[in-house]
Amino acid sequence: MGLDRTVKSTEPLKRLAQLLLVVLGSTFLVSLLIRLLPVGLEDIYVVNPDPAGRAREIHNLGLDLNPFAFYLRWLNGFIHGDFGSYVYPGPTFVPVSQYITRTLPVTLQLIFYVQIVALTISIPLGLLSAYKVGTRIDRFISNGLFIFSSIPSFVLALILAFYIGVKLGWVPPLGYAQPFCSAEDIVRANACGFREHFKMMVLPVVALAVPLIASYTRLLRTDVIATLREDFVTMAASKGLSNRRILWTHVFRPSSVTLFTSAALNMGGLIGGALVIETIFSVPGIGFEIALAIASRQYFALQAYIAIIAFGYVFFNVIVDLTIGRIDPRSRERRQ
Amino acid sequence: MKFKQLGIFSKASVIWLGIVMFMVVFGQWIPLPKPTNFDIDAMGVGLFDSLKHPLGTDSNGYDLLSNVIRGARPSMLISLISVGIGGLIGSTLGIISAYKRGKLDYIVNTLFNIVLSVPALVLGLALVAVLATNPDPNIEVPTSRRVIVIILSLTIVIIPILGRIARGATLSWSNREFVVAARSMGMKDSQIIMKHIVPNVLPAIYAVAFLAIGVVIVVEGSLSLLGVGIVDGVSWGSMIARVRGDLEYAPHSMIVPVVVLALTVIACNQLGDILRSQLDSREGRL
Repeated sequence: MGLDRTVKSTEPLKRLAQLLLVVLGSTFLVSLLIRLLPVGLEDIYVVNPDPAGRAREIHNLGLDLNPFAFYLRWLNGFIHGDFGSYVYPGPTFVPVSQYITRTLPVTLQLIFYVQIVALTISIPLGLLSAYKVGTRIDRFISNGLFIFSSIPSFVLALILAFYIGVKLGWVPPLGYAQPFCSAEDIVRANACGFREHFKMMVLPVVALAVPLIASYTRLLRTDVIATLREDFVTMAASKGLSNRRILWTHVFRPSSVTLFTSAALNMGGLIGGALVIETIFSVPGIGFEIALAIASRQYFALQAYIAIIAFGYVFFNVIVDLTIGRIDPRSRERRQ
Repeated sequence: MKFKQLGIFSKASVIWLGIVMFMVVFGQWIPLPKPTNFDIDAMGVGLFDSLKHPLGTDSNGYDLLSNVIRGARPSMLISLISVGIGGLIGSTLGIISAYKRGKLDYIVNTLFNIVLSVPALVLGLALVAVLATNPDPNIEVPTSRRVIVIILSLTIVIIPILGRIARGATLSWSNREFVVAARSMGMKDSQIIMKHIVPNVLPAIYAVAFLAIGVVIVVEGSLSLLGVGIVDGVSWGSMIARVRGDLEYAPHSMIVPVVVLALTVIACNQLGDILRSQLDSREGRL
């Protein structure tokens, strides 16, 4: 018993330590990568012809340090909230944090809508196709979703932008509108307000949600099929509960663990993973900003963005670890 | 599994991938207008409108059929090579670390997680952007170097995906009775891995490798679309990127490469799926 307890108490700590290592590792590798550029960073950012001034600028950027010291310097700054800067010749510095406070909320909105749409569509579909397993409805749902999930999302995005956005003109094919109008928006006559916001978001959300719907439905279907074989379902049925009630109150919750795990892990993946969709629809989110940073050779900014993505990944991993036991108490015992 | 036993979907997938591989190998000898020639008399010819250009031409007069056939080679070779090399490295690491367990396993698993913590596309984009730069931004990076860098980056993306599958499968197989028996009879670790672990782990890797090929084709296409991949419409992705602006005037010039790319991804996913479900039923019988 005593041994069991020690195992239990160190397990989450170990997991946390590994996740911390992941963040340190990925940020270190990125830091190493930008120092290993075929072109030295000093040749990109430092244009000062005066040798003394040049040396000072290189020193200010930390480029005279070895890669390890360079990383530690960056890490120290990052922990203290200094995310680095966009560097322009001059030298002019624009803090990355400015960009992050502007772009991260947009990406989070997008991800939030995508998850809501994907879950509200896939949960009923998954329950239905598991309940009707092997029938024509099940096959229709499975095959239909399979084909949709195989269409690359950038392909879907281009087609949607063209047919819905340009040809039919139902919604604007690109751009973004704030949900709340600021004074500046009104002065500049920018599109803003909830109506415009949702109109602009429809196409990117659909393009990102379609592949997710397919994978969520499939995960839920598999788990529900397994749960339906359990004794407590037979028990509920023999008490005379309606099928609808059994599915929603008895079957759904224990079957949803894999679904919610995958949904939470996708949140982390979508922070940067929506890059192409954000670029196609000109949604000014973090992915769009990453693409711009890479195109304009802002490698310090790239480093900060990748660190944020890695943090997002770890954050949602921890959330999953903490909440899984709450959704399905059985998994608490199984894990020990 | 025999070809005859496959469902209609899978049969179509096998046939489609066969056609694609034919285009990869023999594409340049098929008698068609050259993909680089633009036909001034036939710009924006629609689908099936002319015998000379069966799939039509784009608004520059490039023949779409011959471009799609030429695009097959870079698109497929990039994905096959990176999934091949990445799968080899990843599964070797995964199998050995899961078999040895302990510290090595912890280190390898952490490394996999590090690479997986950054989405495949962002990682690929960062690697390609960093490795394929010139001191002078105005000088174009040669296509051959771009291709090598893309393959390298996608290999790095693939390693942990397949490595994790190999690791998981090895963990479950290495405690089976026949492995324990082989170990107790004094069989060397290397022999146990080659004789007992690898043959059992391979099917799982094959199944996921097919899915990985689909992933890589999409990432390569996305890179082209973002302008850091292969340029000048040489691969399917860059064909899509090249005609993006012409969608309004000649929609079929984008629909053609899009459909070819999507069909290939669907076929790969379908075959991966079939392999995986076969695997599940085999495991279920044990």
